[in-house]
Amino acid sequence: MIIVLILFQIAIILIGPIYMIGVINRVKSLWAGRRGPRLNQNWFDLLRLLRKTPVYSVVTSWVFPLAPIVILASTLTASLFVPLIPGFAPYSFTGDFVAFLYLLGLGKVFLMLGALDTGSAFEGMGASREATYAALAEPVIMLTLGTLILASGSLSFSDLIIPQTDMVTSLAIRIALAAVMFIVLLIETSRVPADDPTTHLELTMVHEVMILDHSGPELAIVQYAAGIKMVLLAGLISALLNPFSFEYLPVLAMIVSTMLIAMVAVLVGLTESLTARLRFRAIPLFTFAAFLISLICLVLVHSSQGTVQ
Amino acid sequence: MSFLYAGAIAFGIGAILSIVLPNNKLRVTVNLIAQVVACYCVLFVTIPVLFGSTSIVGSLPWSFPVERVDFEVNSVGAFFLSFSLPMTLLGSFYAVGYLKKDILSERHVGIHFALLSMVQISYLIIYSVQNSFAFLVGWEIAALSAWLLVIWDHRNQKIRFAGFNYLISTHLSLLFLVSAFTVVHGVTNSFQFADFIPFFQKPSIQRSIAFILLLASFGLKSAFFPFHTWLPRAHSAAPAHVSALMSGVIHKAGLFGVVKVILMMGEPELWMGWTLLAVSSVSAFMGILYTLVQRDIKRLLGYSSTENVGIVGIGFGLGCLGLTLHQPTMAALGFGGGLLHILNHALFKCLLFYGAGSIYRFTHTIDLEKMGGLLKVMKWTGPLFLLGSLASAALPPFNAFISEFLMYAGLLQSTPELKLGQMAMPLFATLLAFVGGLSAMSITRAFGLIFLGVPRDPEFAGDHSKENIWMIVPMVLHLIGIVVVGLAPMWALRIVQAPAGMMIGDKNITTEKWLALMPTSMLQSITFVVLAFVSVLVILLFARFMLLPKSNRRHVTWGCGYTSPNARMQYTGSSFSFPMVAVFRDLLKFWTKEDLPKGVFPKDGSYSTNCVDSIEHSTFQFLNWGERVIHKGLSKIPESMGFSFGIGFIGLIVLVTLVLLK
Repeated sequence: MIIVLILFQIAIILIGPIYMIGVINRVKSLWAGRRGPRLNQNWFDLLRLLRKTPVYSVVTSWVFPLAPIVILASTLTASLFVPLIPGFAPYSFTGDFVAFLYLLGLGKVFLMLGALDTGSAFEGMGASREATYAALAEPVIMLTLGTLILASGSLSFSDLIIPQTDMVTSLAIRIALAAVMFIVLLIETSRVPADDPTTHLELTMVHEVMILDHSGPELAIVQYAAGIKMVLLAGLISALLNPFSFEYLPVLAMIVSTMLIAMVAVLVGLTESLTARLRFRAIPLFTFAAFLISLICLVLVHSSQGTVQ
Repeated sequence: MSFLYAGAIAFGIGAILSIVLPNNKLRVTVNLIAQVVACYCVLFVTIPVLFGSTSIVGSLPWSFPVERVDFEVNSVGAFFLSFSLPMTLLGSFYAVGYLKKDILSERHVGIHFALLSMVQISYLIIYSVQNSFAFLVGWEIAALSAWLLVIWDHRNQKIRFAGFNYLISTHLSLLFLVSAFTVVHGVTNSFQFADFIPFFQKPSIQRSIAFILLLASFGLKSAFFPFHTWLPRAHSAAPAHVSALMSGVIHKAGLFGVVKVILMMGEPELWMGWTLLAVSSVSAFMGILYTLVQRDIKRLLGYSSTENVGIVGIGFGLGCLGLTLHQPTMAALGFGGGLLHILNHALFKCLLFYGAGSIYRFTHTIDLEKMGGLLKVMKWTGPLFLLGSLASAALPPFNAFISEFLMYAGLLQSTPELKLGQMAMPLFATLLAFVGGLSAMSITRAFGLIFLGVPRDPEFAGDHSKENIWMIVPMVLHLIGIVVVGLAPMWALRIVQAPAGMMIGDKNITTEKWLALMPTSMLQSITFVVLAFVSVLVILLFARFMLLPKSNRRHVTWGCGYTSPNARMQYTGSSFSFPMVAVFRDLLKFWTKEDLPKGVFPKDGSYSTNCVDSIEHSTFQFLNWGERVIHKGLSKIPESMGFSFGIGFIGLIVLVTLVLLK
């Protein structure tokens, strides 16, 4: 069973990015009254990019071609600890969530360095924004995890998400924390309302503007790694909401998780269709809202534990 | 003990010879040899102590009022000695490269090296004496030699000012220390640390006062916020290796002081742990926030020291709480993480300062906004600085990640004993995560501005001298230390085992017991994760450059259709940090100078902003205000002779009455 679970995790993480983007684009198209691209269109895009010969800027140094590979390697390593189903991750140990956060941080640093290496004002701007929003999102993730740790008493990512005695509070807290993680996902993966991946006005972009000078395989790798990051965060949300644990009904748990990840993709698509992008000055407030929800959950968890004891 | 005496004597001989010998090359050579010999002597005996053998004890007679000075190098002292001495030695080697011009000139460089030897002697005193009087002497030697080292380029007025600022701060620290010792002496009537222990183990008002005074003193020494203002000034003024040693090594004495106090207390009160945690968190946060707005590399690194002592302090605060609540795991994680972070900070901060010195020698500027594109010309410093800065942001697979990992584990331990405080722990972890995010931003900014892109200032060319081997080798050695701690955390844990064991009240802690307290499976897992990451990286690199299309096709950077981009159009440091600074605008203080174009035919305008240290700014404002008030008051006193005599006599009478009444 464990092997099946591991294979499931690998499959979701490797194939998930392609279909998640596909689903998001499909939802946006349908909402706009178009038929939209095929679900696996992203796959063809990546293949096309991988075959192309890259062009480098005259300004760049060895950091530029190295950066995408560090990003992909750190994201892949981080994906080892993320539970897609409650209670299971391919490799889990005490404090693995710290390794997860900091590995993603390493990826972000290299993404920004790659952008700065081109010496372009646009890419510098993107890097600056990315750095700001990433730094603001980091404490939100840590507080969410801290709340879960307080609730479960375990320091390992996969065990954080366990059912509690007090079902109502537990459910409310889970849904609230899933909402927090959803906000984090929108910020971290540069979706509306934090950033608009489809815009063609470079002044307003965050992620896309950092990869303006990437081409060919480098571009493919960065986009794929960004997709994996989205799947990881969506997977965390699905693990939070999934009522089935891997011990009892593993097959059902896998199906529900996959569906939940697809649901997250649909939600992202809907958010993109329905909301406008926030002004840049408003994004810290958006993050702060998520922080406050987490804080309320922390207080709730603490007080509910007090009554149990 | 005789090895320690031999070490001290060798340092002393080195110092004297480097002053009296006839020419610079001879002076430097002899001093370095003496330092190597001395370091060997001392490390020969301290390293066994660090790994668990019994403490070295000794005693020397001294004149009244001290009478006898006891020495004891226990595992904590051995820990501090074992990294301070060799790192200062490496700093002296670096100085050979950094001061090459001075050594070849007529200037007496021997003094500089003699002062470095004096710093070494001060470590021997501070980390071993068991007598408050002798401790103060060691403290003062360190302070004065560091001051003289800072003002090496004393012809520059700014450097003299920075040195003076440092001198005053370090003596304020001394003042707090003396008053704390006076309070303790008042109760115990002794100068011996051994006699202090009973006093420190019983809660009393005097103990609380002494604790606060000592915390203020050590906070000034280690540059905790809000006592940090001297540090960025001194660090940007001093030669690179002196900044490195001050930031990485010499000022760790303040943290040693904190450790010493905690050791003597045995079981601190609850509020002490919380105070330490709160002060340190503010330090970590404000320190890293200020790094974001610096234009001067060495100032930036200086603020980063404030951040890092804050992180160490968070570990110690956690350890204190663990001691109070009798949670050995929490205490071990806090103190273990804190001590390990001291070592880690020393490693990467020295590396970064040496890198900054190498950049300065190469470009003759320390202004980030003028640099760019150095990675292509500085083949050694570039990669070394990159790895060092990744380490300073606590990113895996480097050393600071391990120590912060221990602290996260300690902060998020489930401890119902904390009651309401249990809710605060995730918040401290959150703050640590935020500091991590900010420092990632800060190092990206610094490395990106210095090494990536193209030079921003058209006049900036650098003299393209070769990188000096004397400067590169110490950097490489520090990098090795960083990587070893990062890749083999179990070894690193062995280094802090005995000292951290001593702090949690178990002097002869066995490896098994120590590892049982530590989340060892997690550290082994970290090794696995790091190896997994490295191997994935290698495989991907191989796949990318073997299987996928490569090319040498080059084109100018895409400027969104703009066809003649120039270097001035790159993103600047201040614009890079602007979005974050905008969020925390109220915590920072900006001076803006603007001369905007006016009228129908405007002339050239200018606009500049400068982030000043708000604490320093308000200190100077306060001093200015005080000076004005006193001046006003004094000007009202009549200047006639009779008045002064009258006041004098009244004072005398009051004094005599008081003496007689007693």
